[in-house]
Amino acid sequence: MQEVQISSQSQVIVRKNARTLKFFKDCKRFILTQKVGSISILFILFIVLFAIFAPVIAPNDPTAQNRDAFLAAPSATYLMGTDDLGRDVFSRIVYGSRISLIVGFASVVISLVIGVLVGLISGYFGGKIDMLIQRIMDAIMAVPALILALFIAALLGPSIQNVIIALVVIEIPRFARIVRGEMLRIKEMNFVEASKSIGSSPLRIIWKHGLPNTLAPIIVLASLTFGQAIIAEASLSFLGIGTPPPNPSWGLMLSNASRYMESAPWLVIFPGLALSFSVLAFNLLGDALRDFLDPKLSS
Amino acid sequence: MGEYIIRRLLFGLVVLLIMVTFIFVMIRAVPGDAVTLQLQEAGAASEEQVAALQAELGLDKNVFVQLVDWVTGAVQGDLGSSFWSDRPVVEMIAERLPITLELTFISVVLAILIGIPIGVISAVKHNKFIDHFLRLISVGGLSVPNFWVGLILLTFLSLTFNWMPPLSYQPFTVDPIANLQQMILPAICLAMTLSASIVRMTRSALLEVLHSDFIRTIRSKGAKERIVIYKHALRNSLVSVITLIGLQVGYLLGGTVVLESIFSLPGLGSLIFETVTLRDYPVVQASVLVFGAMFLLVNLIVDIMYGWVDPRIRNS
Repeated sequence: MQEVQISSQSQVIVRKNARTLKFFKDCKRFILTQKVGSISILFILFIVLFAIFAPVIAPNDPTAQNRDAFLAAPSATYLMGTDDLGRDVFSRIVYGSRISLIVGFASVVISLVIGVLVGLISGYFGGKIDMLIQRIMDAIMAVPALILALFIAALLGPSIQNVIIALVVIEIPRFARIVRGEMLRIKEMNFVEASKSIGSSPLRIIWKHGLPNTLAPIIVLASLTFGQAIIAEASLSFLGIGTPPPNPSWGLMLSNASRYMESAPWLVIFPGLALSFSVLAFNLLGDALRDFLDPKLSS
Repeated sequence: MGEYIIRRLLFGLVVLLIMVTFIFVMIRAVPGDAVTLQLQEAGAASEEQVAALQAELGLDKNVFVQLVDWVTGAVQGDLGSSFWSDRPVVEMIAERLPITLELTFISVVLAILIGIPIGVISAVKHNKFIDHFLRLISVGGLSVPNFWVGLILLTFLSLTFNWMPPLSYQPFTVDPIANLQQMILPAICLAMTLSASIVRMTRSALLEVLHSDFIRTIRSKGAKERIVIYKHALRNSLVSVITLIGLQVGYLLGGTVVLESIFSLPGLGSLIFETVTLRDYPVVQASVLVFGAMFLLVNLIVDIMYGWVDPRIRNS
C-alpha cells in the first residue's frame, strides 16, 4: 500500500514538473515570437510596480494642497505641474495607477469567474436553464455597455466599489457567451460522449474538457476587457459618478482639467497619456496573445 | 425574409421587456427616491405629505402593478411623465434623441470613409512598412480614450485659433452651420475608435479573401489588380465589416454620453445621466429602453444588409 501511494504521489510531482516545464517553454516561445506582446507585458509590470511602490516613487502626497503653487507649469519641482488646488500632478498620476489597476483587475476577475460559471452551466445543461440564462444575457447586452454602466453607477452613487459592480455587470455576458459557445461545440464531440458513457460526472467533463478548451479565448478577452475597463472607469469618473474626489483617478483628473484647458494644458495632457499608454499595453497584449494562442487567426 | 424580420422583432421585444423589468426593479430597489428628494428640497416633510406625493406619482402601489401599468402605457405610446417637471417623457425624448442620432450617424459615416480605405491600403501593402505603421495607428485609435481626444482638440483649437464650438445647441433645421460646427468635433472623436476597428477588420477580412482560390482565378484571367481588389475582394470582405459596425454601434452610443457632456450637447445619454440622480423613474426607464431599441434595430438592419451584400445568404 505504502509503495503504491508513494508512486502515485511521485507521478503527480512528475506531471506537475512537466506542466511547469511546458509553461516555461511556452513563455520562451512567446518572448521569441511576440516582440510587441513581450514589450507590453514589461510595460504592464512597470505600471504594476508604479502602483505598488507609489509612496516611494511619488515625490508628494497626491492629495496635499500647496497654496504657493496653484496651476504651476511643469518644472523640476513639479515634473508635470500642479492642479488648481496646488496638488502635484505627477504624484497623482502615480497614485492614480492604483485605481485603474484595481478597478480593471477586480472587474475582470469577478466577471470572468461569474461569466465562466454561467457560460458552463448554460452550455452544458442546455434546455430551459440555457434559455433563461441566455435571455438575461441578451437583456444585459441589449443596452450599450457604457449606458448600462452609467445607469448602475449613477444609481448606486460614486465609489470605487460601485464602479467595479457596474463594470462586472456589463462584462459578464462577454465571458459567458464565449464559454457557452465552446461548451455547445464540445458537447457534440465524440470524446465527451465517450467520457459520459464510461460514467464521468458532468462536473468532471466540464473540468477536464470544457474549461481547457475555452482557456485561450478567455485569456485574450480578459486582456482586452482590462483595457476597456480602464477606459470605462475613467469615463464614469469623468462624468462625476465613478471614483469620488479627492482620489487621484485619471478620469477625475481630466474632468477637473477641462475647466483649465487654456491656462493649464498640462492638466489635460498627462493623465490622458497615462490612460492611453496603459490601455494600449493591454490591447497590444491581447492581440499578441490571440496570435500566440490561436495561430489560425493570424495569417 | 418578411417572416424572419417579424420573428426577430418579436424576439427583440421579449429581450427589451426583460431589460426594462431589470431597470424598473433595480431603480426602485436602491435607496433614495424622487419623493424624498423633492420633499427634502421643500424642507421638513410630514408623513402625510410623503404619502400624498407617493400616491400622486403612483409609487404607493406594488412594484409589479407599477411595472404592468407602465408597460401597458408604453405599448400604447405613453411613456408617462417626468416626476420633476411633469412633462410627458415622449416629448422629452423626442427633443433629445435627434441629437444623439445625428452624432452617431455622422460618426459612423466618417468612420467608414476613413476606416475602409485605410484597411484596404494596409491589406494590399501586407507586411510592408506602411502596413505596420497603419496597424500601430489603429491599435492606438482603439486605446486612446475618445473623450480625451475631444479635450485635446478643444484645448488646441482654442489656444492656437482662439476658436470654440458654439456652446448653446442649435438644431440642424434652425442653424445648420452652427449645428455642424458643434457636431463635428465630437463626431471625429467617436469616429476615431470605430474607424480603428474598421481598419483592423477590413484588413484581416480582405487578406483572407485575397488568399482564396477564386481571387487567384480572377487574377489569372488577367483582371487589373484594382478591379480584383475593389470589385471582387472588398465586396466579399464587407460582410464581416458590416457585422463589426453593427456590434460597435453599441460602443458608439455609449461613448456619446461623455462627448455630449464635454461639448454641451443635450442628447439622450445626458438625459439618463441627469435623471438617474434625480430618481426620475419614468424618464430613466424610457431613455434606457430607447437606447436598447436603437441598438437592436441597428443589428436587425445589419442582418438584413447581409442578404444585400451576400446573395448566398439572401437565397437561403
